[in-house]
Amino acid sequence: MTARGTPSRFLQSVLHNGVGRYVCQLKRISLIFSKKGQGSLGVRDFIEEGVVDFAKNNPGTVVYISPQSCRIPKIVAEYLNGNVKEETVTNKTSQEIVELITKLSNQSGLDIIRIRKPFHTDSPSIQGQWHPFTNRPPSIDPVGPQAK
Amino acid sequence: MSSFSRSAQQWATFARSWFLIDARMQPPGKIASVCSVRLQGKHKPIYHPLSDIGDHVVVMNTRHIAFSGNKWEQKVYSSHTGYPGSFKQLTAAQMHKKDPTAIIKLAVYGMLPKNLTRRTMMQRLHLFPDDVLPDDILRNLTEELPQPREIPRKLSEYTQEERDAFPMLWTPPEDYRMK
Repeated sequence: MTARGTPSRFLQSVLHNGVGRYVCQLKRISLIFSKKGQGSLGVRDFIEEGVVDFAKNNPGTVVYISPQSCRIPKIVAEYLNGNVKEETVTNKTSQEIVELITKLSNQSGLDIIRIRKPFHTDSPSIQGQWHPFTNRPPSIDPVGPQAK
Repeated sequence: MSSFSRSAQQWATFARSWFLIDARMQPPGKIASVCSVRLQGKHKPIYHPLSDIGDHVVVMNTRHIAFSGNKWEQKVYSSHTGYPGSFKQLTAAQMHKKDPTAIIKLAVYGMLPKNLTRRTMMQRLHLFPDDVLPDDILRNLTEELPQPREIPRKLSEYTQEERDAFPMLWTPPEDYRMK
């Protein structure tokens, strides 16, 4: 679809994150997988080896492991601004899942849609934005033929 | 001005002004070039050809414009409606007699960019043959533009003291006969 038909947003950061302390925007990550299915093999390998290190490295993120009888394993990431992102990880290797999870933890929860401008500022003008009377000398006499 | 809200600041920056210019004793080409600059919005730092940020220009006393040289008799305005035998040529003097605002109108029309925005800009140009302006336009005016040509004074407008103080190269004797 065209840029006009798809949603778009302006560049922003969640609550000026990074100006002061950096807060990891990933609130909760849930790994839904099945104990026996072959699509969840990568997830099971990841749980064996990598998930504890991930949880230790990201103390602000809660990691939920929920084995269910499901056909497709999923990773559900919830962010501090309320957005929920679901990714299916069928037949992915453990390494790919590690990369996916680091990508999710580095994202803020803002939508991945077209960004209208690659810049944003809260103070667009230092000296004051121009208006028609900026450099106009003031006149006391009324403007018009009667002034002649 | 920095205390304005975003919408108020935007409204102030993109506001459309009304300018007044007196065309008495002025060459119509110079008046037209000043008008075309203001109608396009080129006098603003926020100019962009697609933005439609031109201002209104009111020209008064178009009946009293002054062509230099012999242009009143020599300048020819031609028009052809497309039908055979309808080629008309009018000198500037005849055109001015028929319609005192036509000369400035055609001059501004020729100086604006030749695209679809030209007609909109021409709608924002207001021409008046004398200095009688309607009330609603008078109320909108914000600035009077300076005249492009300095009007030279007639000999009768100089005082006797200025005439005496003017340096003479040589004084002719009493019985000198000027041709």
